[in-house]
Amino acid sequence: MSKTLSSSVPTDREVVLGILNNSEEALNRLYTGYFPMVLQFILNNNGDEDDAKDVYQESIIVVYNKIQSGDFELTSKLKTYIYSISRRIWLKKLAQQSKKTNNISEFEDVIAVEEDLEQHEAKDLQFDKMDSALQQLGEPCKTIIQDFYINNLSMQDISEKFGYTNTDNAKTQKYKCLQRLKKLFFQI
Amino acid sequence: MRNEIELEGLIEDYVNGKLTAEEAQAFEELRANDAAVDHKFVAHKMFLDSLNSFSKQSILKDKLNQIHDTIDVETLSEKYRPHSSFVVNLWRKNKAAFAVAASFLVLAFVSIYSIQHSTKQNGSYEMMRRELVKIQNSQNKLIRNVNSRNKKENAPANPAQFGGTGFALTANGYLCTNYHVIDKADSIYVQNSKGDSYKVKVVYQDPQYDIAILKIVDKEFSQLANLPYKLKKMSSGMGEHVYTLGYPKDDAVLGEGYLSSNTGFGGDTLAYQVDIRVNPGNSGGPLLDNQGNVIGVISAKESQVDGAAYAIKSKYILDALQAIPQDSLQNNVAANKKSALQGLMRTKQVEKIQDYVFMIKVYN
Repeated sequence: MSKTLSSSVPTDREVVLGILNNSEEALNRLYTGYFPMVLQFILNNNGDEDDAKDVYQESIIVVYNKIQSGDFELTSKLKTYIYSISRRIWLKKLAQQSKKTNNISEFEDVIAVEEDLEQHEAKDLQFDKMDSALQQLGEPCKTIIQDFYINNLSMQDISEKFGYTNTDNAKTQKYKCLQRLKKLFFQI
Repeated sequence: MRNEIELEGLIEDYVNGKLTAEEAQAFEELRANDAAVDHKFVAHKMFLDSLNSFSKQSILKDKLNQIHDTIDVETLSEKYRPHSSFVVNLWRKNKAAFAVAASFLVLAFVSIYSIQHSTKQNGSYEMMRRELVKIQNSQNKLIRNVNSRNKKENAPANPAQFGGTGFALTANGYLCTNYHVIDKADSIYVQNSKGDSYKVKVVYQDPQYDIAILKIVDKEFSQLANLPYKLKKMSSGMGEHVYTLGYPKDDAVLGEGYLSSNTGFGGDTLAYQVDIRVNPGNSGGPLLDNQGNVIGVISAKESQVDGAAYAIKSKYILDALQAIPQDSLQNNVAANKKSALQGLMRTKQVEKIQDYVFMIKVYN
């Protein structure tokens, strides 16, 4: 097992450089490389495959953002870092579900990652707020906002897509939607 | 309302860098002059930022989901699911430790095997040494425990504790034997082939060479005839046919063999290695060649090697004799240049030397 793992796991340097350059390939290899480790940890500590997926994706997002922010310094192996973050996240989730958390089966070394996770949680809160605000916004506002701000469509494309007679109408509509979204976002 | 929309569009264009330099400057002036516009700009920009990071995050999540779909989770989880068996769990958690232990074992076996193998063929120095130490422990001094009762009335009533062999060096009763035969002895008696016992005393002992010289002090002892053999000063060569007469039992026993090495145990230059059958009790016996020269004193054999007995070279007997006052030797053995045994049949030779080889009985 260790042989196949090590052949597919990229070096830490490859991962950091790849992610800084927005390489999909690097992300792909990072994700597939360390998933078995986290899966093993979760499965052996009261979790199932879906838990593993959630926890692992959250960890990868933490790592990804940390690398992209540019102040990422590897003080340990990337593997240890990812394991520690996944472990921390999963322990927190277990505590929330008030499942038993003594007797954690460890598979790797652990390092302190509290600070990184606090930053991540603050960001995640924003993310969830925006997500639920968008959900409450309803159609067609949600799609218009997503198309304009997330998918970077032009006003022209949007007015065509939604059948507005001119871009001004589309702009007005978008403005109204955004106002509502702001309201929802700051309310929550 | 209209203005608001335009202002927002302007802010977004400014943030995204879509304005020309002049437009941007105009916008910056507007911000500087109008606090309300500036406030709006800051608030809108902040909101846009969080919207932006939200969009990045959701794109990333989509990507991760895509990647996740390519992984065969079921097989993996089958592999890593906690196993009911304790052994499997133990194996999984301690794989590394097991690997280390296993490789250590393999290494140990390989090295032991190779060491054994190499000693069989040419032998490495170190290994030889260890092997030798073992052999040294097993090397048996050829002293015989004498259990038989002594029949002579002038001998002590209790049976002798140890026995060996000795041979005459001079006609007036100087005998040679091994130091280890008479070591820690209270009293020593010798018995000749006719069964007569005489009391002897130790006149010289050399633990280093394992040689002892005894003198018969019994008043019943009468001078021997001239010695039929002589001590050889020079070393003998390998292949020399040799024989010994000794007392591994109560009667003399002849052993024949040949000189198989010029050095003794562990390369000991004091001794020869002799391929000859010797048994406890042979210690101290003379080793003679075909010409009737005493070339050594049987001292030991190796228990783990077939046909490896050791005999101290006769040269060291002569050295030992030097330590004894020459006048007391009277008929110096070294002066006996011609061996009377030369050219005789073995049976004749044995017959002649029989009277000069004694059983040594040690009491302590």
